Amino acid sequence: MRKVYITGIGLVTSIGNDIPSVSQNLRDLRHGFEIYPPFQKPNVPVKVIGTIKGYTADSYDCEDWDYPSRFSIKRDILRGMAPHGLYTYCAMLDAIADAKLGGADISNDDTGLYAASGGSPRLLGHYLHRMNTMGVMRCSPLGIVASIAGTVNFNLVSNFKIKGASAGFASACASSSHAVGFAYDEIAFNRQKRMFVAGAEDGNVESILPFAGMRALSQQANPDLASRPFDTGRDGFVGTGGAAVLVLESEEEVQRRGARVYCEVAGWGQASDGYNVAISHPDGDGLRTAMGNALRRTSVDPEAVDYVNAHATSTPIGDVSEARALRAVFRNGATRPAVSSTKALTGHGLSLAGAMETAFCAIAFKEGFMPGSAHIASLDPACEGLNIIRATLPQQPHVVLNNSSGFGGANVCIVLRKA
Amino acid sequence: MARDLPGNLPEPAYNLAPAPKFTKICCKQPSNRLPLTKIRVYNRNGPKLHQRNMAQAVDTSSKASKPFPGSPKPCTPEDDAYLREALKRCSASTYEAAGQFRKTGNTEHLPAIVLGIIERYVEPDLRAKLKDPDDDLRLIEDLGIDSLTMMEIVILVEDVLQMSINNEELRHLRTLGDVKQFIECKVRGLPLPQPTKFLPIEQIASIMPIQPPFLFLNEASVSSQGASAKYKISGQEFFLQGHFKDNPVMPASIMLEALGQLGVLFLLEGGAGEPGKVVNPQTIFFTSCEGVRCHRMCRPGDVLSLSIKPKRLKAPLATFEGAIRVGQDKAAIAEEITLTFGYAEEVAVEPEKQSATNGESTPLAAVVNG
Repeated sequence: MRKVYITGIGLVTSIGNDIPSVSQNLRDLRHGFEIYPPFQKPNVPVKVIGTIKGYTADSYDCEDWDYPSRFSIKRDILRGMAPHGLYTYCAMLDAIADAKLGGADISNDDTGLYAASGGSPRLLGHYLHRMNTMGVMRCSPLGIVASIAGTVNFNLVSNFKIKGASAGFASACASSSHAVGFAYDEIAFNRQKRMFVAGAEDGNVESILPFAGMRALSQQANPDLASRPFDTGRDGFVGTGGAAVLVLESEEEVQRRGARVYCEVAGWGQASDGYNVAISHPDGDGLRTAMGNALRRTSVDPEAVDYVNAHATSTPIGDVSEARALRAVFRNGATRPAVSSTKALTGHGLSLAGAMETAFCAIAFKEGFMPGSAHIASLDPACEGLNIIRATLPQQPHVVLNNSSGFGGANVCIVLRKA
Repeated sequence: MARDLPGNLPEPAYNLAPAPKFTKICCKQPSNRLPLTKIRVYNRNGPKLHQRNMAQAVDTSSKASKPFPGSPKPCTPEDDAYLREALKRCSASTYEAAGQFRKTGNTEHLPAIVLGIIERYVEPDLRAKLKDPDDDLRLIEDLGIDSLTMMEIVILVEDVLQMSINNEELRHLRTLGDVKQFIECKVRGLPLPQPTKFLPIEQIASIMPIQPPFLFLNEASVSSQGASAKYKISGQEFFLQGHFKDNPVMPASIMLEALGQLGVLFLLEGGAGEPGKVVNPQTIFFTSCEGVRCHRMCRPGDVLSLSIKPKRLKAPLATFEGAIRVGQDKAAIAEEITLTFGYAEEVAVEPEKQSATNGESTPLAAVVNG
């Protein structure tokens, strides 16, 4: 098995669109939440989201969109995209620049791309409305590729001339962790030399608000209090959108290119709850097995783990399930790993979460810190027995786990190691 | 450097099924006769237009069953706001023309509307070509309009003109001139021109009685008005070894031959014959040419742009004018090239002879192969 490294990162997140600002906000525990104007209606009980700054992509017409002036995107590229397609396209360019890849490194048989997003419910709704009111033949010819799940891989693969493996993953909030895991496999098993991994979400009314129906969203109107994983007062997650793109490369490619490395992707594990379509297993069964699989396959002793970036979204049930799974895995450890949920700062990015948080961990390796778990005023007693860090630790971790769980009880654990 | 990489990559190649089928324009609210206002508007357009359009307008209305798209109806402030929004990225004159068309139904505004909508979908750096539009401008090659963009154009035209274009014909529109002619025919209720057919080399070879190495057409477009083709001088042509010694130059006689071959293709594909009759490829032969002038030597690497237009067509003779350009340079012209041809049913082909021709291929090829 070949070793796999993260060599490039591109981010469009609620806590920043470039690595220095994201890094600073992670250290300083500065969140990216704002009162979201479209939610400010009496019949909408949810008020806050993790907003994307520097982009405006609310219009159905892609030519109305605004994005940072350092990018220049032609209309025939934009017209096939959802708002999160725009975010991913820009994050992809940043990741390519960050990894210092040339055109030949991107477009070849040995370079692939895996992506994850929930599609664009907003655009899909718009096109279906147009179809129902104006007729089938008046729908935009690119409505489908811009809106269905898979839109991110369709767009990136064609626009960046990707020639290797490509696919999209649909395991809800575990999607982009699955993408990272299977991208790791492609390289480790010598099928590809380099993989791009993209996770993204629109993070607008239509992609977030439907979660209110299942009572999964926080109704807290104060942006400073809305997302507080592991806190007794937590009342649901805060939605966010954006994009994260990672560049994964084989050891040989890293050496050949003399590439700078964030960290090693040591391996991964997954397991399913087999329990409920939407509710996580009360004891975190699947997540515990996923972490166990990940550690065993990477030959990492639980005691060697320094930091866990928890999935913890700030829902009453989910955070407790994960706490139980963590306690089960690290039960007899003489040292307990630091645990935090960066969703306290960013909000829950759904399909974006796994890739975004893997990127956060990679930045933490490179810059030598472990981000704290923000907004805990009173730790939930059900989460006791864990080393949940409320402040950022200024130490470089050696081994990090990144957990993600999705609907249907899909659980993924990525193991990252200091390069 | 890497940031602007996608711009440096080749244009995206869309993996598309053939463009969706279009059928013909039909009016959502068909009006069976020309409203009087239309005639009055034509009266204001000066004597020349008046005469022409009156004649056509009368002709159209006399057909009575031909719906006239975009018949005038009250243009409410909501309609106006919709037009303004729909055309917000088009030139101001496009919006004005659309407003006028909506109010008066005057079809004189249609070219401005349609060209304005096309311009809006052309990348800004290519829009200069539309300042003084040439009917030969090709939608795909010159204006960068792919099949998806064509769909976007159609949808906006439909929205603005309140008509449904569901047409097979649009698929064959290759040039700005084709589009103008198509719309003009549609709105005036005239029969549609033969769609321009594009023929790649494989299709040309399967149709033509002339075969490689003596076929000098790489790709061709054929319509009822004429035909055009490209031929790239590869340098591998057998006759260039001796023409001339250490100095390969395309023989003028071969350039003339290429124009003649395009005439053959026109006769076989242009539908130029009498209705119901099919030209027999075995009956076409070169007869004469006049007024041939060569202006430029053509060498390996040059791409010859050939074009012919029929001047007279009456069996058994077809006379064309022909021209060859290389880029913007005139290379050769022929004022008249005449071919003789016959229709299929006039030739009795014995079964064994027909199969024998497959080996010998064609009259011209047979001559060349000795």
